[in-house]
Amino acid sequence: MHIPVFERGIIPPDPVAPDSLKGIPRQKTNPSRWQGDNWQDFVRDLQSRGVTVCEGRADCSVFMTDAGGVAYSLPHGVVRPNSAEDISKVLRAAQAHRVPVTTRGGGLTTEGESVAFGGLLLDMSSMNRVLEINSDAMTVRTQAGIFWHQLAEILRRDNLDYLSAPLNLTASVGGTLGVGGIDVNSPRLGCSADQAVVLQVVTPTGDIVNCSERENPDLMERVLFGYGQFGVITEATLKIRKFTPITIQYFYYSSLRTAIEDLQFIAREDASDYSGILTILDRAITLLVAFDSDEREREFNTRWKRSLRGHGEAGFGLRMAGHYTMHPWRIKEAAYIIGRRFKLFPEFWRPEFMHHGKIIDRTVVFSRAVWKFWGGPQMVIPDLSSKAEKFVEAVERGNAVCRKYFRHYTLYCVGIKLRGRLPRYEMSCIPPDASDIAYGCEFEPMLRGTNYSRDYLQSFKNEIYDIGVDMGLSYYRFGGMMKGYIRRAMGDELVDKHLAMKKAADPAMVLNAEVIF
Amino acid sequence: MSEEKYDVLIVGASLAASAAAKRLVDAGLDVVALERKKLPRNKVCSGILSPRGHRFLIENFGPLPRDILHEPTSCRGVTFHFPSMISISMDFEGGPTPHLNRKFSDYWAVKSSGLNVHEETSFMGLEDDGKVVHVRAMRAGIELKYTARYVIGADGPKSRVRHSIYPDYMKSIPWFMVGQKFQRIIECPLDEDYFHFWFHPALGHYTWSHARNRRQIVGVGFPSGGNLHEYHRNVETYLRDKHGVKLEPAEELEGCAQNFGPSLINRYVFGKGNVLITGQAAGFFNMLAEGMSCALHSGAIAGEAVVGAIQRNRPVQEVYRRLITSEAKRCTDQWNPFRIIFGNPHEADFKAGMRKLSKREQLAVIRDIFRFMKIYAPYGWGRQILSQSLIRLVRNKYPSGRWL
Ligand SMILES: Cc1cc2nc3c(=O)[nH]c(=O)nc-3n(C[C@H](O)[C@H](O)[C@H](O)COP(=O)(O)OP(=O)(O)OC[C@H]3O[C@@H](n4cnc5c(N)ncnc54)[C@H](O)[C@@H]3O)c2cc1C
Ligand SMILES: Cc1cc2nc3c(=O)[nH]c(=O)nc-3n(C[C@H](O)[C@H](O)[C@H](O)COP(=O)(O)OP(=O)(O)OC[C@H]3O[C@@H](n4cnc5c(N)ncnc54)[C@H](O)[C@@H]3O)c2cc1C
Repeated sequence: MHIPVFERGIIPPDPVAPDSLKGIPRQKTNPSRWQGDNWQDFVRDLQSRGVTVCEGRADCSVFMTDAGGVAYSLPHGVVRPNSAEDISKVLRAAQAHRVPVTTRGGGLTTEGESVAFGGLLLDMSSMNRVLEINSDAMTVRTQAGIFWHQLAEILRRDNLDYLSAPLNLTASVGGTLGVGGIDVNSPRLGCSADQAVVLQVVTPTGDIVNCSERENPDLMERVLFGYGQFGVITEATLKIRKFTPITIQYFYYSSLRTAIEDLQFIAREDASDYSGILTILDRAITLLVAFDSDEREREFNTRWKRSLRGHGEAGFGLRMAGHYTMHPWRIKEAAYIIGRRFKLFPEFWRPEFMHHGKIIDRTVVFSRAVWKFWGGPQMVIPDLSSKAEKFVEAVERGNAVCRKYFRHYTLYCVGIKLRGRLPRYEMSCIPPDASDIAYGCEFEPMLRGTNYSRDYLQSFKNEIYDIGVDMGLSYYRFGGMMKGYIRRAMGDELVDKHLAMKKAADPAMVLNAEVIF
Repeated sequence: MSEEKYDVLIVGASLAASAAAKRLVDAGLDVVALERKKLPRNKVCSGILSPRGHRFLIENFGPLPRDILHEPTSCRGVTFHFPSMISISMDFEGGPTPHLNRKFSDYWAVKSSGLNVHEETSFMGLEDDGKVVHVRAMRAGIELKYTARYVIGADGPKSRVRHSIYPDYMKSIPWFMVGQKFQRIIECPLDEDYFHFWFHPALGHYTWSHARNRRQIVGVGFPSGGNLHEYHRNVETYLRDKHGVKLEPAEELEGCAQNFGPSLINRYVFGKGNVLITGQAAGFFNMLAEGMSCALHSGAIAGEAVVGAIQRNRPVQEVYRRLITSEAKRCTDQWNPFRIIFGNPHEADFKAGMRKLSKREQLAVIRDIFRFMKIYAPYGWGRQILSQSLIRLVRNKYPSGRWL
């Protein structure tokens, strides 16, 4: 029997029946490991040009999976580049020998996007130097493999800070610009990708090119939110700001809808500097708002606070006590809420991170809490992003799916300020119909101490992603690119357009080729 | 004699094996499979894959090629026929599903998984010394030796791997024979887009018919020891008299033994030490003998368990038994009366079919189902199903203490 091989991106007609598996594209989403054709020639070629390829089992095994912990594979070898020139040599040789190359920053993807299914893995964490801080223009130029917390540390010496970054400590600048990057100040300041002013990129064919909104703008628009398809980001110049400690206030809700409406109200009115929703249960919801300055907080207290429908802690505690007195069979739920309250919340005011009642290092505080309470070998964080009007429905539907699959889970919602409708948003985490502020929700089961098979977790994620298809949303991309969904959610026409651009930029289809197409 | 060494040795090169291999090969492990037959090999099967299994194949092995399908290429759903001459047709949720030609589908899955297969090599026995497993096999009358850190038994109902670690198991469960004959069609009013099943205690324990490559398959299952030709003649006469099905004499016949039962009563066999049992060998069987989707999923879980055990340096049985819980639950749910009445554990909606009937017809169907179930009374499953279902109700899972 002849085993057909389908070209990437080509979906043949369905021999089963035209309406089989309603609308699910017939696409392999769990890639096979590349078999290693020409690998030795490729390695020799690179060695002769002074690039070292580590092929040891231990070198490769470190990169067996990503934060998602469901996709597993091994690269044939790893390169830790020292410069853009090294990467250029790698990509030129990869085009010639048709060897797949996977770029990896922090490896915090959850669908295997930063896992190398054979071939070469580029470990960008070796390129982690800050090159120049310009406190007049308020920008920093840095190598792109740096983790945000390293960058924060260096900026802090000059009393400076980055604008917004993911809350997890080990995301790299390059990886984040490639996916978006959302922080609790994104309703105000937008995605991390939108903070980039100039990039140095090595294209898939090995050219080293600078780009910005003026110089090579097309490349800039492709590389930002581009999932590593159109080049490796080697340097980034980012906007920065003055460092400020922050103060936080919490409001408690028992209705998701009300909490979300208030979150949207705050974002719309620009009432706080940071805002987000974090649930304990879907009847115990926290809305968090925070401020960079006393003036902003004072303004919030006098102008906006009264309009919020959330309760203070004492008031909410009393209401919950009332609720569980009437529903004593749900006592376990109450115990869970109380347990969570006493374990989780003190993390946000640990004395070593506080100074005069203010949090002096929000990134560390939030990131520690994220790993301590949600972290594990498998991070399952599917998400949805939508325009303001559809957001409540999207979260409520996603919440129903979570309930079906898991006893305990957390929803994390935040707004994302857009900079108009830029080409970079096309086929990205920014929903196609959003204007001004989009909203994202992450659905995160508490997996600690439990074990689920990959297919169980995948069915959960699929049900969340199905909501996106059904409601015409996008995906916030905490959860990753979900190859199997991209055509369903974005439509063949758009995906084929990007595939054509990808083929033109990367003729041998070697750079991060398994991520989307 | 030299011993070949591998990270993982899989016995069988069928669907469960290819799913396990997919996970293992992707993770860069050194894997081999021993397959008794020469590939591509034939496998007795109706070939109707559930939508969940279909999706698994696409996601893991890519778009299905035409060569792995029979004619008709798809099956729209299932039709139940009852002695009171009421019929209920149900479409699969998620659309028509493939009618697999197991000879080529299994070969395609195995090849696509990247699995290295030693064909015409029969597994004979093993010894697990706690660190590695020593495996004995035979090829063309010559004895071969292998060692592997882990062995996965994906060798189907009569699993020899299972036998080598639980020698008494075969004797402890009831066995069934299933046989099917292929006959040219003179006249057949049964809708060829559906798989037909009869709840008729006088015909057999499992009676079915469907179209394949312009012939009609008539099949029947019964307790081991029965006479296939007699059962088959009986069914053929019934189909002719009651449904007007006229067929030429049978051109071909095939049959095999089945370990039907363990999934109903939550009595799976998952192995011991470094040896994992998966697929039908472990007892996975969904309603209507749909065994391929659970073979694929359980096989993948066995592969994942080995990868997880290596990566986290944990005992593989511990990892496997935790990961397999969801699949065991899903499979046993298919037979759980509470799940059937209050939920829908199947990939087709029987209750919606029932709602289309009049009250009188509904009663007749329920009476027919009860009468049919009575032929399973000698196996004593009823009480076990009930007790397992009650535990499921309270604890939201089936007790894993009943697994071997
Ligand atoms: C616990 C946890 C918390 C998280 N919290 C947040 C959060 O608060 N906000 C948020 O936005 N996200 C969050 N995420 C998602 C994660 O931060 C993003 O996926 C992340 O920004 C990726 O950065 P990375 O360096 O880990 O990239 P990787 O995972 O290494 O790579 C991401 C993608 O970009 C490509 N890539 C990597 N480096 C480069 C480069 N230099 N040039 C071009 N392409 C490259 C990779 O091939 C891959 O496709 C979280 C994830 C986890 C596991
Ligand atoms: C008549 C009939 C109809 C069916 N219809 C359907 C249907 O419509 N849909 C459905 O989903 N399921 C159906 N099934 C069930 C389905 O065929 C099985 O559940 C499924 O094939 C189990 O897959 P497996 O990979 O676990 O084992 P198998 O497919 O049984 O594969 C076991 C493999 O191991 C090999 N092997 C066995 N012993 C040894 C040894 N000692 N050494 C080396 N190799 C060995 C065998 O040759 C075989 O290749 C049907 C079964 C029958 C009998």
